[in-house]
Amino acid sequence: MNKLWMRIFICGACALLLLFFSNDFGLIDIQETAIVIAIAIDKGEEEGKFDVSAQIAVPAGTGTGTAGNVTVTGASTVGEAITELNHKTGWYPTLVHCKLVLLGEETTRENVFEILDYFLRSELVEDTCLVGVCEGLAKDAFKATSPVKDISSSAISKVLSSEAQKTGLISVTNLKDFAKNYYSVSGGGFLPFIAVKQEAESQGDDQAQKPVFNGKINSEISPVSSEGAKSGEKKSDVFDASRTMLFQNGKGVALLTPDETLAFNMADTPTDYAFGNIEVDEKDGKVVYDLKMKITKKSAQLSFENGKPVFTFRIRAQAKIIDANKSDSILMITQSALVPEQVLNAAEEKFKKELSSAFEKSAAAGCDLFGMKMQLYRFHHKKYNAYKNTILNRVETRYDIRFSALK
Amino acid sequence: MKKLSEICKENVKIIKKILSSEDILVFSFTMKDGTECAAVYADGITDKMLLGEQVARPLSSESRPKNAEEAAKLLQSPENKRETEPENIVSEILSGNTALFIDGIGEALIIGMKKISMRAIMEPPTSVAVKGPREGFIEDVKTNVSLIRNRLRTEKLQVKTFKVGKQSATTVCVVFVDGIANPDTAKEICDKIESINIDSIPDSSYIGKFLAKNPYSLFKQVGTTEKPDILCAKILEGRIAVFTDGSPIALTLPYLLTEDFQGPQDYFVSPYRATLSRLFRFFAVCVSVLLPAFYVAAQLFKLQLLPFGFLLTISGSIQDIPLSPSLELFFLLLMLEILIEASIRMPRYVALALSVIGALVLGDTAVKAGIVSSTAIIIMALSGISAYTVPDLVGTVSILRLSFLVVAGSIGTYGIPLLCALLLYYLISSDAYGSPMLAPFSPIVKRDMRDALLKAPMTDLTTRPEVFRPKNKTRLKPSTERKEADNG
Amino acid sequence: MDKIKIRQICFLFAVMMPVTKMLVYPTTLTYYVKNDLLISAFCNLLIEGVIVGLIMLLAKKTDKSFFSLIEDRFGNLTARIVYAVCALFFFASALLPLAEQKLFVMQVFYENVPSIISFAPFFFVCFFACTKGFKSIGRAADLCLPVFAVSFTVILLLSLPHADFSALLPITAVSPLTIGKGSLFSVNWFTDCFFLLFFLGNFKYEKNASKKVILSFAAGAFFILIFLAVFYGVFADIAIRQQNAIAQLPKYTTAFTSLGRLDYLFLFALTLVMIFYLCVPIQLCVHCICKTFKNCRPTLPSLAVNAAMLGLVILLNRSFNELQTFLTSQAWFVFLIFAYLLPVLALLLPKKILPKYKNKKEKLYE
Repeated sequence: MNKLWMRIFICGACALLLLFFSNDFGLIDIQETAIVIAIAIDKGEEEGKFDVSAQIAVPAGTGTGTAGNVTVTGASTVGEAITELNHKTGWYPTLVHCKLVLLGEETTRENVFEILDYFLRSELVEDTCLVGVCEGLAKDAFKATSPVKDISSSAISKVLSSEAQKTGLISVTNLKDFAKNYYSVSGGGFLPFIAVKQEAESQGDDQAQKPVFNGKINSEISPVSSEGAKSGEKKSDVFDASRTMLFQNGKGVALLTPDETLAFNMADTPTDYAFGNIEVDEKDGKVVYDLKMKITKKSAQLSFENGKPVFTFRIRAQAKIIDANKSDSILMITQSALVPEQVLNAAEEKFKKELSSAFEKSAAAGCDLFGMKMQLYRFHHKKYNAYKNTILNRVETRYDIRFSALK
Repeated sequence: MKKLSEICKENVKIIKKILSSEDILVFSFTMKDGTECAAVYADGITDKMLLGEQVARPLSSESRPKNAEEAAKLLQSPENKRETEPENIVSEILSGNTALFIDGIGEALIIGMKKISMRAIMEPPTSVAVKGPREGFIEDVKTNVSLIRNRLRTEKLQVKTFKVGKQSATTVCVVFVDGIANPDTAKEICDKIESINIDSIPDSSYIGKFLAKNPYSLFKQVGTTEKPDILCAKILEGRIAVFTDGSPIALTLPYLLTEDFQGPQDYFVSPYRATLSRLFRFFAVCVSVLLPAFYVAAQLFKLQLLPFGFLLTISGSIQDIPLSPSLELFFLLLMLEILIEASIRMPRYVALALSVIGALVLGDTAVKAGIVSSTAIIIMALSGISAYTVPDLVGTVSILRLSFLVVAGSIGTYGIPLLCALLLYYLISSDAYGSPMLAPFSPIVKRDMRDALLKAPMTDLTTRPEVFRPKNKTRLKPSTERKEADNG
Repeated sequence: MDKIKIRQICFLFAVMMPVTKMLVYPTTLTYYVKNDLLISAFCNLLIEGVIVGLIMLLAKKTDKSFFSLIEDRFGNLTARIVYAVCALFFFASALLPLAEQKLFVMQVFYENVPSIISFAPFFFVCFFACTKGFKSIGRAADLCLPVFAVSFTVILLLSLPHADFSALLPITAVSPLTIGKGSLFSVNWFTDCFFLLFFLGNFKYEKNASKKVILSFAAGAFFILIFLAVFYGVFADIAIRQQNAIAQLPKYTTAFTSLGRLDYLFLFALTLVMIFYLCVPIQLCVHCICKTFKNCRPTLPSLAVNAAMLGLVILLNRSFNELQTFLTSQAWFVFLIFAYLLPVLALLLPKKILPKYKNKKEKLYE
């Protein structure tokens, strides 16, 4: 490095120091930033308007979080609501850590992508967040108190975690996958349907609403974690996401029951281990078996036989009894790996029935839940134009479900 | 200048005229036949006992010799020579030798009687090895060269001596192994040392500055070591060593950046352990340089860099801190530098007080007072400690750390890769004595990779580093059993 | 002579070339050819590969630089004019990748939209690089190898679990004409082969050099194709929305982990490779200017080129779409002429075969 370069570097360093001590471009003032961890969107009172609730993490000195909820009512778009949040509160909302988007049940009557559009458009919002539909109002879910004192959105995120997906009880989807299906030839999709159920009683404080703004914004700091726990008794809430809402072209068209959800997950989503119960008629009466099922192979494939479309579900699973509502001998309990043939048959029958029900429900609603149109487009492209509008009704479904004992 | 005569007193006068200082003493005595003799020497650096034993005693029992050659035979000193030029005689006296004048002889006998108080050879404090030799260089260049000779008993070991410094006339030795070191490099170094025109050379670092190809560089240009075993290894790799009288630190050239990541005991432990240590050192330097910058950039420009839980912890800890994250860390790093500077210069008995002030008052109390956040203190401490895993790079790392912080706080997150690119461009274009500074990584020298950040077993290091362009490339010839074992 | 090594040219093609095709190119290609993006990209890569092969053939025939070849054939003035025109081309060809990277930086490195000041220091780095010559290009390529290998592998591994490769079906869903259009309109991303022409005479042709360079180009092409396949597998019908593709891919795996967006570290590492590679056309532009002005020192041309580039980037700050549309769908023939036609014409330049190769050939015939 010669003298010239040294001088250039010194000049550069001086310029940088000047910027360093005086800059204010593009930076985030973390003390004025509202870290939005979840968004709930409900249909507004006015036609075409929305109520947008943001759950904002409130950092504590120890790092454990509490959260506060802020609601903007009557916004035309989510973007407008976010901007308004900034204007009226002075807090700059950042959505980079937004992990959950909850839609109110009412919003699914219309195309939900009118709402979700914001998340796809903005480059500053990630489409990795989980999406779910809430029974009733989505903002009410944010007010719920988890029995383990989680922040409500964190509790819901845990319910919708990928681990939950693996058990087959819940159909989980993120914004990217939901959008991918919506914009595909299939146009179908699904979201977990979350219901807040009041269950256990626990220690907690009163969740009185404290409206702060007289205008359109209502804000309440909901002490939804232990940090905010005060004296007083309160009923805690649990989140049930065992049902699945089906969408076609962005509109909610049908709802799968928990058993149908399980069957759907076993057939078409990344579920490895599923848990379900089977009712079997035995000589002492009806016995309910709880089964742990390891899915070893699954496929849902569209093919053409003699020019006719056939959709075949193929599931191979291994089952193990983990519980039964009868008292068994110690020998039988020890040999729980040996699942009786009638239990396995009953399981096959049950899942065939539930899967068939899920398929029929989706077909009736015009929802391409199993991506049949996508398969038609990708693997049978020549027949795509002929079948693209009628495939759901013209297809013959076959169920090849076999259970064996988990050794 | 006046020439020497055959009269002893006149010769002493000539010398005393040049060396008028009071510590230049004259010891006069007579021989058996009354011939006058005078020994001129510098007080303090000449061994007076030896002067009496080896010069005065034998001469006083003998008669006047015919010439200087005969006089030299009368002396019992093994190291003596004849000198006629007064300037050279003066130079020898100032080096601690004694000039002996005898009536009737028009020459001076220079008798080697240096008495230099030296410290003992001990383990250098800057390069401690748990395993391995514990010798270290001292301030005497002859002793240092002897330590190398003791380890490299080859006739090819070349020592070239120079006197550098108009006033100090410091001895500088260039040491290399003929047939291994690149002769062009050796010549270039010798030429450079010869061309140095300076008043004095108090330390080897002065020589280092003259040997540096880029004197304005932020990075070291010359390798250093205080250990003979390491120096021998480096010489045998094809490097050239430079000793300076009065300095225990030997310089090695050409210098590669990777050599600072090689610890003194890497060659005495298992290659796995050595590799792991080197990777840790590299990681620690990266942490030290980049962590404060990333911390600031994440808070000011890109919150997503922080995991959610950590973000909550940070935003909790910085609540109500009056300084922005960048200024907070900038001042903390400045404080760290001040503490380090103070602790180096402070007398040892005050050091304890300093650590109390540093750790408790500046750290704990500042957090409690809400001036700085605890997270920033942790970042500063982690960065500060990490730098010391590579002690030779501490100075550079400190400057880089502050530079990266300023860049991250002003330009933002993109500034970090940009500054990395600038640094790398600078490093890859810095060649010294034909060796690229970032070798063997850029340019890639495959064979040399075996002893860079990774350390292959000693038996696999069969060749010398190619980057030094050694004449003789083979360092080790595998034994036949080993070859068979490898093939089998 | 020998300022850049064959190995370094190989790395340039294998690990540096792919990075600039991982930002806006996949989206643009998807816009034109949808799921047939692999075929379209393959066509581009194949043509470019052929050009690389031809230039290596030229390198085998002569050890002269491109400048000397023109000079020998048409005189110094012509050579200087050609180099001046090439300098302009390099300047123009660097514009879109720079604008792309600016967008990438704004989105990936910042949360709030920063001012241009955040991107401007790139030109300082580039200015420094431009004064360092070909040696720095080669050595940067050496450094990029491990960085790219680790970062690209990690990003790919993080993306793979979300990829459904059946999205690439059906093959040739769009017409061959559309595929051709896609290839033509993305030709501005495939001008890397042109660099090689200017490296002529600056590297020593060694045994199997052509094979090595072509194979490394094939490796780079393979990485691009793999990336495109994973990209479309992950996003399918919404791929068109995913600008800065490389930053979008791995986030679905890391977003919910306790370590957070760890993929950013690898993205930053890849950005380093991008910075090095973005400097290459500007470095070559400066090289051409220096040659035009009789081997002048590079400091002033570097300063001028980078200042002009910065000015243009500021001027076109909000016109990325217009710039992209112009360069891809209207000015594509310019890229075609320079990057493909000029190297082919260069093959006709050498007057005679080098004696050493001539001897070898004679021996072969014997």
